[in-house]
Amino acid sequence: MISRRTLVTGTGAAAVALGTVAAGELALRQQRDAEAPAPPATDANGHLLWRNWSGNQSAYPAARVAPASEDELVSLVNTATAPVRAVGAGHSFTALVPTQGTLVSLDQLSGIVSHDATKLQATIRAGTRLGTLGPALADIGQEMLTLPDINKQALGGALATGTHGTGQTLQAIHGSVQSFRLVTAKGDIVEASRDSNVEIFQAARVGLGAFGILTEVTLQNRVLTRIRKRVYAMPTRDAMDAWPGLKAQHRNAEMYILPFTGMTAVITGDPTTDPVVPRGPDTDVDTLMDLKALRDWLAVLPPLRRYIARKAIETTPSSEAVDDGWKLLSNERPVRFNEMEFHLPAEAQTQAALEVLTAVETNRPDVFFPFEIRSIAQDDAYLSPFYNRESGSIAVHAYYRNDYSFLFEIVEPILRRHGGRPHWGKLNSLTASDFALLYPRWKDAVQIRQTLDPDGKFLNPYLRKVFGNA
Amino acid sequence: MLPADARLAGLYRASCQNCHGHPESGAPPAGYHFAWDPRWAQGLPTLLSHTIGGYNGMPAGGQCFACAPADYTSLIRFMAARPSDEN
Repeated sequence: MISRRTLVTGTGAAAVALGTVAAGELALRQQRDAEAPAPPATDANGHLLWRNWSGNQSAYPAARVAPASEDELVSLVNTATAPVRAVGAGHSFTALVPTQGTLVSLDQLSGIVSHDATKLQATIRAGTRLGTLGPALADIGQEMLTLPDINKQALGGALATGTHGTGQTLQAIHGSVQSFRLVTAKGDIVEASRDSNVEIFQAARVGLGAFGILTEVTLQNRVLTRIRKRVYAMPTRDAMDAWPGLKAQHRNAEMYILPFTGMTAVITGDPTTDPVVPRGPDTDVDTLMDLKALRDWLAVLPPLRRYIARKAIETTPSSEAVDDGWKLLSNERPVRFNEMEFHLPAEAQTQAALEVLTAVETNRPDVFFPFEIRSIAQDDAYLSPFYNRESGSIAVHAYYRNDYSFLFEIVEPILRRHGGRPHWGKLNSLTASDFALLYPRWKDAVQIRQTLDPDGKFLNPYLRKVFGNA
Repeated sequence: MLPADARLAGLYRASCQNCHGHPESGAPPAGYHFAWDPRWAQGLPTLLSHTIGGYNGMPAGGQCFACAPADYTSLIRFMAARPSDEN
């Protein structure tokens, strides 16, 4: 993404010129970027540490189980010590998973159960990781209707948190769910669809793992399709103006605002039958580390940081790849981070994004991760952040070793003021009374959850705050 | 390339392989000495500690929450291509 030669030359010259300032920065940087020690591997009771992907959540579950069948899961739920929390890949930043009770890994409940080649549907076990689901579906000539940015999540976790891709006409993943099987707190297996147990289908489709444990999901897919993916940069103000057109013109469109550079990366995807042009080696990590290097050396001189970054980005050619959608739409993202993402009314998205950009650039020169701007079609799941609302999402990230308090202090107030609903798996400070105002069917969802799990077997302390069961 | 033990192979396929089977993930590829030897030199206890608690790009538990510490040890040895009797 960034022209290495321009960046290295520019940053190096600036660093020499800045001598003393840079030396001061070095000490600050070493402290700021130190890897925090991990919690102990076991607690006083000998229970093994569980920690999420970014490392901001942890717990010592008394029991860790990995059922190999739905029947085994039923028996485990019947006898398990509460709170019972299912975990996929542990990719949520909110405290959805931590439990001192029973941690249920769905890793052994994975793979495709069956498929319908005519309807282009597939029934998939909930523990299937998205990174393996893409090629498995490709083997039967299908692909998911939408894919998130990262391919590490388990399908059950992605659905539980309202995980989404981008595209003005594309619903989040739960929008393509035709039916699911749910193991409830009473040990029942409930089958829910638009024709059967409809209220449970609508309430538990985005369920935070609080209505029961999903075991199987039938997804509406489409025929395996090649896409053309383009990546290019433009000035941020121009990109914001272009966003409505980009969303309308391309099946997939997203933007990465690059703070402290004045520039934004635009990524588009469109179906094609053209020959394959592989995406090539990943350059996103290099770009990210280049942005970090600029932060490291030039955070004290924003104008110079912006000048060098802009020159480097402007001289970087656009890139293009053609391949099956699952190979191009989701990514590895090996650099860990913490993240806040809110879903706003589509019409508020660019204004809110510019306000966030100004606030971060004014207050937090240590930030270097791009802000992600995406588009999601509305759906009708009761706890979907996209319930009855065309949405524009804004995601702000912080390097996993860096302080992320700014997300709560300066980013969240802006996103809430614009009517945002938080991503269920990403950082936010909202509680039951807030959600009740944001979700028109909140009371219905809470009531259905209470009926399915009257004793709160699936509620950990965080979910008690979310559902108001303190 | 999979662990010979069927249970370990299942754990590896479900979690580790998602990164250690894809060089673009940045994780040291399983069986690749050039990437593993400097890590192995840190000692197995350090690698196990980094696996359980997370370190750098390695997320805690390797995203394998069905794994026990003995499984992590066996999987590290498999990926580092070190027989179980070699320290």
